[in-house]
Amino acid sequence: MSVSVAAEWSVLHNRFYRKQEIYTMCWQRVDLSRHKVACAYFGGPIAIIRDDSKIVQLRAESARPKLLIFSSSGVLLSSIVWDRPGGRLIALGWTSKEILLCVMQDGNIFQYNTQGKLLEQQISLGKECWEQGVVDCVIWGTGLVCLTEANQLFCVPDLTSPQPLKLADPNLEEPPHCFAVIEPQFTLSGHLEVLLAVGDSVLMVDADSVQDQAVSIGPVQKMAVSPNGNFLACFTHDGRLLVVSTDFSKNLSEFNTESALPPDQLLWCGLDSVLLYWEETLLMVGPYGDFVKYPYEEPIVLIPECDGVRILSNSYMEFLQRVPDSTVSIFSIGSTSPAAMLYDALDHFDKRSAKADENIRLMSTSLPEAVESCIDAAGHEFDLSLQCTLLRAAAYGRAFCSHFPRDCFREMCKALRVLNEVRKSDIGIPLSIQQYKVLTVEELIARIMKAFRHLLALQISGYLGLSKEPVLIHWACSKITAASAVPDEILLDMLIEKLKLCPGISYAAVAAHAYQDGRGKLAALLLDFEPRSAEQVPLLTSMGEDERALVKAIESGDTDLVYFTIFHIWHQKSALEFFQMMQAKPLARDLFTAYARQNEPELLKSFYLSVGQPQGAAEIFLKESWEQAQNAGARQGSPLQGPRLKLIDQAQELYAQTKDHNFEAKSAEEHAKLLRAQQELEASTGQPIFIDSSVSDTIRTCIVLGNSRAAQKIRTDFKVPDKRFYWLKVFALANAKNWDALEKFSKERKSPIGYKPFVEACIDEGENQEALKYIVKLSDPHDRAEAYARVGMVKEAAEAASQAKDGELLGRLKLTFGQNTAAAALFDTLRDRLSLQGGS
Amino acid sequence: MAQLPNLDNAPINLSSLRDRAQKELIDVLDSMRGKKVLVLDSKLSGPLALIAQTSLLKDHGVENLYHLSSEPVQSDCKNVLYLVRPRINLMKLVAEHIQHDNLNKLQKQYSVFFMPRRSVVCEKVLEEEGVHASVTIGEYPLYFIPFDEDVLSLEVDLGYKECQVDGDTSALWYISRAITRLQSIFGVIPNIKGKGKAAGQVVDMLNRMHREHPNNQNEVGPPEIDTLILLDRQVDMITPMCTQLTYEGLIDEFLNINNGAVEVDPTIMGGQQGGKKIKVPLNSSDKLYRELRDLNFGVVGQVLRQKATTMKQDYNEVTTSNQTVSDLKEFVKKLNALPEMTRHTNIAQYLSTFTTKPKFLSHLSMEQTLVEGQSYDITYEYIEEMIHKQEPLVSVLRLLVLLSLTYNGLPKKHFDYFRRELLHSYGFEHVFVISNLEKAGLLKKQDTKSSWQLVKKGLKLVVEDVDDSNPNDIAYVFSGYAPLSIRLVEYALKGGWRSIEDVVRLLPGPTFERRQGTHVQDTSSAIVNGRTSTYDSMVADGRRLLVLVVFIGGVTFAEISALRFLSAQDGMKYDLMVATTKLINGKNLLQTLIDDPS
Repeated sequence: MSVSVAAEWSVLHNRFYRKQEIYTMCWQRVDLSRHKVACAYFGGPIAIIRDDSKIVQLRAESARPKLLIFSSSGVLLSSIVWDRPGGRLIALGWTSKEILLCVMQDGNIFQYNTQGKLLEQQISLGKECWEQGVVDCVIWGTGLVCLTEANQLFCVPDLTSPQPLKLADPNLEEPPHCFAVIEPQFTLSGHLEVLLAVGDSVLMVDADSVQDQAVSIGPVQKMAVSPNGNFLACFTHDGRLLVVSTDFSKNLSEFNTESALPPDQLLWCGLDSVLLYWEETLLMVGPYGDFVKYPYEEPIVLIPECDGVRILSNSYMEFLQRVPDSTVSIFSIGSTSPAAMLYDALDHFDKRSAKADENIRLMSTSLPEAVESCIDAAGHEFDLSLQCTLLRAAAYGRAFCSHFPRDCFREMCKALRVLNEVRKSDIGIPLSIQQYKVLTVEELIARIMKAFRHLLALQISGYLGLSKEPVLIHWACSKITAASAVPDEILLDMLIEKLKLCPGISYAAVAAHAYQDGRGKLAALLLDFEPRSAEQVPLLTSMGEDERALVKAIESGDTDLVYFTIFHIWHQKSALEFFQMMQAKPLARDLFTAYARQNEPELLKSFYLSVGQPQGAAEIFLKESWEQAQNAGARQGSPLQGPRLKLIDQAQELYAQTKDHNFEAKSAEEHAKLLRAQQELEASTGQPIFIDSSVSDTIRTCIVLGNSRAAQKIRTDFKVPDKRFYWLKVFALANAKNWDALEKFSKERKSPIGYKPFVEACIDEGENQEALKYIVKLSDPHDRAEAYARVGMVKEAAEAASQAKDGELLGRLKLTFGQNTAAAALFDTLRDRLSLQGGS
Repeated sequence: MAQLPNLDNAPINLSSLRDRAQKELIDVLDSMRGKKVLVLDSKLSGPLALIAQTSLLKDHGVENLYHLSSEPVQSDCKNVLYLVRPRINLMKLVAEHIQHDNLNKLQKQYSVFFMPRRSVVCEKVLEEEGVHASVTIGEYPLYFIPFDEDVLSLEVDLGYKECQVDGDTSALWYISRAITRLQSIFGVIPNIKGKGKAAGQVVDMLNRMHREHPNNQNEVGPPEIDTLILLDRQVDMITPMCTQLTYEGLIDEFLNINNGAVEVDPTIMGGQQGGKKIKVPLNSSDKLYRELRDLNFGVVGQVLRQKATTMKQDYNEVTTSNQTVSDLKEFVKKLNALPEMTRHTNIAQYLSTFTTKPKFLSHLSMEQTLVEGQSYDITYEYIEEMIHKQEPLVSVLRLLVLLSLTYNGLPKKHFDYFRRELLHSYGFEHVFVISNLEKAGLLKKQDTKSSWQLVKKGLKLVVEDVDDSNPNDIAYVFSGYAPLSIRLVEYALKGGWRSIEDVVRLLPGPTFERRQGTHVQDTSSAIVNGRTSTYDSMVADGRRLLVLVVFIGGVTFAEISALRFLSAQDGMKYDLMVATTKLINGKNLLQTLIDDPS
């Protein structure tokens, strides 16, 4: 068996290549030579359309060409009559998202999905391109480049944001012999570069410049860039195949094909060999001048893949690849590698031969490596029985390894199950394991579901432990579109039954689709199932369900979402309606007012007035008056507080409108009054120190300035209580060191706040002598004792304390005089005396 | 910059939380390629200092760091990255910067990152200012910031004010989000208890968030946190109005602890006058501080003295007797604690210059009188005199609020009188402050009789004869008053609130104690994964269960100390961790109500 596997390989120098048949095409009577053909990478679909640049004989078919899309196995996916305007169809090609691009002569590009549905988004290369007319085009997974009749290059470097871009003018008289593209991800600059074969040389063109590479390899008739963008294969007019680095700094190999005609197709197979196709002959050339020739009677199309080339003919889909190393190590003739021995051991084991055991013993330490190779090789096989045998060999060997990682085997089995499933002819995605890894599972699942194979996609997701959400959502959306005749409630039940299988699924996404499909009611019903307010609310607002959106946003407690809704409603509704909606919901109202207070004071005023809360508006007026005061300009020397007073008066009127705000109304009134009084004071004293000080401060300032009449006036105007006035005056006089006045004041009448403040004020100013005048007036011996202590009169303090009969006080005073031992002794004796008295 | 607080001893893996925050910060910085200037919301530099060292900024291309102000950024750097709280006034500053650059024909790239998340309001402001199109917008999802092994905070400054005065409940959403994020790492917390309106709202949001993202719970292990206690600050506004008497609390009262550090005048630390302020980090990485922080300040002096004495003895032994090398080594090791000794002796000495003043003592005795609810007249007159003397407004309001809270408002006559006296003494613009206090329910007209006496008695809030140096009750943190909030936690953990149902009902807002229903589903999956056995053994092997106490609206240091005291009690089978919207004291909490937001 092992011999027969290797027998089908071809040798290219020291490397093996194999060409396997994957599918017998199930299409009928398709002749590739009559068609333009575009095949998607990664085993994707095939699009064909009659090639109107060739003279073909019409068989029993319509004169209008049809665009047909098949799977890789030849199953017809869709068929549409080609009726697009825009002149000739120049090129056909697939993007990496399996969107078919049809580039028209006039520079317009139509996009189709695999179902043959024309997508809404249409790309245009612009007016200049339209005028010149496209003659040639190269399409790759994420972009395209067009050559016009005027030898200008236009490109779309990134199809996800299709901005057409004109490249630098190469200034050509004649059209180039051929051109090739280096994709942006491979260039140093990160921008697209285009190679044009002109005359004997090659020009490198990008957005800003044209560089002649100054190589004289003779006119190049065909070029191909290697899959990693590093090398360029060129076919010259004299039949040579040159491989150079893309910057033309290195010549890597040269091979003479002895063909005067350039090949129809020139392509890299992996990184090690180049394929050239002329009618009936496929030539594979290796780096060291070795070559292999495959004869083909039928026309073929070469499809590049990351690890080889697929070959499509009228009857077959084949895969040409370099034989993977693990496979070589097992199957190459005469191999004695551990993996080959393990494979052999399984064979013996199956035959119940004791040699199996011998093999295993021989390998001993290299057994894990052998198991690994067998697992790896299994992955590279398309043949189920071979996969199975290799995996069995691995399993057999693993039984003798103590610490072989389990995951490796399990992961491979999983991957193979998925691959075998999608490779089946009816699905028709012939991915190799390498391609599967590069493409990623998620992308594979996306492709399957876009092909409406939702069940398979769901099963794969489940089997691999991936989220089922994307598949279910795609299914639900497709279902909604397809079931336009099904009543909302019935459709809802059908959808919910499946969607609930996946907790946390985005009902909002499905609802959004339903809404776009014009099924507003279904959307609303679906939205009720959406637990995520952040998803639910924006959709509700876009559906015009403002009230519900607001309720849901408030329920969520997410203030940001509430704001989102508020702003939306604000723009949609009249002011009055908006105010009413806000007023009805406390959280919305509070958030709105918090925002408006900072950003929209005028709007907020009208809000408060319209909802009957004049006090709210009053507050804003007051705030405005206060802001004016903060403004340095208003403060400085402006004798006129007119505008501010007006604001305060307005506030006062508003407060007065409700009887709950008497206090505030009164305050505003007093505030205005104070401001007027201060204005006068500033005018009469010529000192700008009054405005915006408080009533108390104003009185104090007047007293300090010696203007007791003014102080008295403020006192009566503002009905300042005696107590407060006394406090103010005592400290103000002391502050002004107006001791005579203070003494006079103390004698005016009995102080309503006692004489302690007088003492304090004097001590604060450091005038202990003045303080003494008032200490004697203190009625409470405690106070007197402490006051004496503060001015440092030990004996008097002690006397007063003993008068108060307070031992604790004596103790404290003693501490105060801690340094003074004489004083300490005095207090001790006094205390002893007290305690004796207390004891007796 | 100071070292990050050491989190190795945290009951849950807070380091991983910080590492994640660090990584996310790096992502923010790296989102802008090349050299850049970072313009930081000045409120954020403190919290960020708890997440990463400054060198991290340099390593990720930050050439210069600015604080966001009305000054335009003076730099040639073409990349400007703003990291800000989502506030409208900050957006206006950002817009001004960009407009300034546009006017000067400077072409720059701008990114604005919001912490913890972007906001529609801010983007709208940027739009209105016409700069929205020129900025890239992102978010830095930093919610809980680890302050210490057992303290997490969101540090949303205006959380209390916005909730209680403006009705903007964003802070509640933030804290819910933060707890949800914790649960996604440490498991769904099975038991939830809570008191107060905001607690109820948060629990609703937690449930909703749980419903919205149900599938990520299978990935996390068994719950590491056993119980969540949610307390609305509004339930107990009395405690923050009282002056904290623990060492850490007093430092905060007099020196303002900001983001786990104080900035002190060099003179306090025995340095020269006029020097630069010294930043002293205060967290449990400082071993001596760890010992002192929760003590009543009255005891701190003794402890320090004792330590100094032993140190001196050790020194004498070293100098006099023959010591082995290993003895010497021991001694030298002890010497390493010397800088900490000096540091705390200096701070304690500084604090005592305040605490010995008669004014401080009389203020304390007023607080005590108010909490005891005796002698309304004395306190009334005391406050009146404070106003007449125009003492600092915040101190006045602290007592006034305490008065209003304990008597359930002031008699109409006094209410009007005080309001008028305040306006006359401090200026009419303070009408906003009064209005804010009224909206928050901190100052009101008496309508019904106060239930404070019942609450006080029912919860034994006033404890006679607390031995501050050897306390047996949490009341030691306020020298005789047991903070209501912590008493609630204590009851919740010792037999639940049912036993004191009558009292709890007197406090505002809903009360709830429940197990999270979703956890039942969890166990089924746990059995499948063979997790139940580990979970059971965890409980059975006598390991302590972890309780997360969340203070919505802020928590004081004294309360945290009281919680630490609780968890250290014999027979307490729980470890306690604190999370909050902001670390506060009465002063800075009231200050948020005084400052005009615009």
